Amino acid sequence: MDYPASAKKYLALAQEVVERAARGGAEAEAYIIAGEDLNIEIREQEVEALTTARERGLGLRVIIDGRVGFAYTTDFSRSALEETAEQARANAARATPDEHNCLPPPEEYPHLDLFDPQIEDTPLKDKIELAKEIERQARAADGRVKITESCSYSDSRYIVAVANSRGVGATYYGANCGASIFVVAVEGEESQTGFGLAYSLKMADLDPARIGREGAARAVRLLGGKRIPTQRAPVIFDPYVTVNFLGVIAPALAADAVQKGKSLFRGKVRERVASPVVNIIDDGRLAGGLASAPFDGEGVPTQRTVLVEGGVLQGFLHNTYTAAREGVRSTGNGARGSFKATPEVGTTNIYLEAGDRTPEELVREVSRGLYVTDVLGMHTANPISGDFSVGIMGLWIEHGEFAGPVRGVAIAGNIIELLKSIEAVGSDLTFFGSTGAPSIRVAGMSISGT
Amino acid sequence: MLFAPDDLKAILEAALEGGGDFAEIFLERRRTTGISCEDNKIERVHSGLDQGAGIRVIRGDNTVYGYTNDLTRESLLETAREVGKAAGGRGTKPEIRWQQPQPNWDFQVKKRPDQVPIEEKVALVRRANEAARAVDTRIVQVSVAYGDVIQEVTIANSDGVLVEDERIRCRFMVNAVASDGRIIQTGYESAGGLMGFELFEENDPVELARRAAGRAVRMLEARPAPAGRMTVVMAGEAGGTMIHEACGHGLEADLVQKQLSVYAGKKGQQVASPLITVIDDATIPGKYGSFRFDDEGQPGQRTVLIKDGILQDYMYDYLTARKEGRRSTGNGRRESYKDRPIPRMTNTFIAPGRDDPQAIIRETQKGLLVKRMGGGQVNTTNGDFVFDVAEGYLIENGQIGPAVRGATLTGNGPEVLRMVDRVGNDLGFSLGTCGKDGQGVPVGDAQPTIRIPEMVVGGILEEEGED
Repeated sequence: MDYPASAKKYLALAQEVVERAARGGAEAEAYIIAGEDLNIEIREQEVEALTTARERGLGLRVIIDGRVGFAYTTDFSRSALEETAEQARANAARATPDEHNCLPPPEEYPHLDLFDPQIEDTPLKDKIELAKEIERQARAADGRVKITESCSYSDSRYIVAVANSRGVGATYYGANCGASIFVVAVEGEESQTGFGLAYSLKMADLDPARIGREGAARAVRLLGGKRIPTQRAPVIFDPYVTVNFLGVIAPALAADAVQKGKSLFRGKVRERVASPVVNIIDDGRLAGGLASAPFDGEGVPTQRTVLVEGGVLQGFLHNTYTAAREGVRSTGNGARGSFKATPEVGTTNIYLEAGDRTPEELVREVSRGLYVTDVLGMHTANPISGDFSVGIMGLWIEHGEFAGPVRGVAIAGNIIELLKSIEAVGSDLTFFGSTGAPSIRVAGMSISGT
Repeated sequence: MLFAPDDLKAILEAALEGGGDFAEIFLERRRTTGISCEDNKIERVHSGLDQGAGIRVIRGDNTVYGYTNDLTRESLLETAREVGKAAGGRGTKPEIRWQQPQPNWDFQVKKRPDQVPIEEKVALVRRANEAARAVDTRIVQVSVAYGDVIQEVTIANSDGVLVEDERIRCRFMVNAVASDGRIIQTGYESAGGLMGFELFEENDPVELARRAAGRAVRMLEARPAPAGRMTVVMAGEAGGTMIHEACGHGLEADLVQKQLSVYAGKKGQQVASPLITVIDDATIPGKYGSFRFDDEGQPGQRTVLIKDGILQDYMYDYLTARKEGRRSTGNGRRESYKDRPIPRMTNTFIAPGRDDPQAIIRETQKGLLVKRMGGGQVNTTNGDFVFDVAEGYLIENGQIGPAVRGATLTGNGPEVLRMVDRVGNDLGFSLGTCGKDGQGVPVGDAQPTIRIPEMVVGGILEEEGED
């Protein structure tokens, strides 16, 4: 695809739709995303499934007398676009007026390196080979790795265009790629699952050997799990698990959750919400960040926002609406999951900053405790109350050393208590998609076992 | 019909030029309406049109899939050729003779949502919002959402299956947040089904809203759940998350064939207590997981998976059935034209037993009563699962005691199902969106009141206290 030319074409279309929808004093915003995706799934060194896709869609938001209406379409014919505009205007009539509903003005955008031509130029057979190599590496790493649950390479190339009636008219294009493997290690009657994965803006960064071996190592080390008694003990989360917890905290850092009284962090700006070793940052222009973009879903420039510094809450993430309601500037976090939804407040690249302790040091200082490598049921954690209770997979620690895997164990607590009881942060910051975290050690947690 | 039969034939032929041995096209037009209310405001009124086509070519055990939302004949022919070429092999010219399968059941939508004025939908949402807020002064936030979807599909394949269908689903959700200034708790209720606006004849939005708000407030007064092993009674009204996770996923044929299920190779074996019968049934009128035809054009059916504790069958789609030289059980489902079909549950339930639900509680000395289940997850490979307790109570001396919050139950599917020692004569349904391989599809789950002598409750150790 000729990306620069297509980007120009979609921007012109977005502007045309805005013009039509903004009749009679309405404000209007059109958002277009068009893309091509590829997904390759390997099993037993065969291509089990290959998916290619071409997709595009347009979301249209109108504001009439402070009332927001929204409609979307994947049909770009003149009549469908006309109908979408009518529908959005009609929907606006049913909504409650709110003076803070508004669209942002045009601004300068940073230039970011988001399109690695290698992702598009690499022949299909090389991408298939990359996925096969991951599986070979996982199998070679340990003889007990017997089943491939899934092994895949995927990439996507996309164009985004946003236009609004205040003069925003902006477009960019980008690409990303990723690969993952989920394997099962089998020993006797027992089987355990492990994964390795990586996502990147650059194809050269995908290392099949590392992904494959990590998947194998994660599965194999859980074999032979034993039950442990119910107790309270220090717990170490590896980066993947910390990322899972950060994913529960993230919605509470969005200003809309705060304004609606649904955030754990409401009314706590400038207060200590976490241990002093905790820093949390959202950075929409992070170099190499999977969620990096010059502007957000409303055409507001992205930025770096420090949310928690030294354990003290600094502020929240905003889109244009929440910023207007608060009388502050948008932080460029008007996030759109797709063209099918209005921009909400969402994170970009959010991460817990690395500390200076190696992960080995974190383990060595524990006399008896739990090292957690994966969780089951994280999505059942309640981001509003902060209560969580999850099944875990991991290893028991005795005298600073791993003493074997555990099974049938759950940990529970409240996320605020957890943040406050983080006693050490590792140096191993790792991103899983657009969320990153290092290992952390929590002073004491409820561990439910036998 | 979204495309003429002759065009469909041409597209399937183009797909097989490259050499696959099966080709299929799934055309979809999906119109949605959504209304959401939060902060006492009708914040969003959405409507949308999403249409597209997915083309699948299978050669041996391998699948190539492509989709596009450019629905011109030329674009579809081009996608078909590309997909077919990637499948490889020697080209074939199939003789396609259309046959139109008949559904095993039918249903009538009484009130099409596209013929209900949007004002009426908005009014419903507002009423629920007000009702939830009126429950208690400690209700600090309420969000209410209404959604309907009209999905028209045309499914055609090189075996000659040609099905066109329309699926209409409505859904309503209330989420209430209660706070006493110190802690925050939430309560959730939902209703939905393969039906039109008549959903609200059986489900009063005001009643749903009161239940959600009542739960949020009750949970404020709940104490943290205890931790450790204990007897668990799951009420029929608790919903069916447990059976969905504990064995439903493990009985999906793709996971079984890949040896990713603890139930693999166990047909005819005792895998659960003799009190347990598990059924997957797409033909229950109006349920959220029901349908006339699955997403491969196979009629939806009722499948007995486990009978009196003995494993009878798995859930199959076209591809997994073909691998075993048998027929699909009508469980081939996909989220949209963007996804290839995989075996999925429809409405899955444990059949009612003989015990009086009240007696089950009365005859339990000490334990946890689960009155409402939340979400769950399973590792199908070893059967370990968890699910969240949205509303739970301690049982003390056969009596329902104080409410507890923050509990999760973890267990192992086969172990838990073998242990079940009481099965009630009631049956309570819940609905949800089941995620698998990144695809969400509507499902229903249900179970009667059951008792499990020992499960691990993930809670808080008592000596920690509250804060």
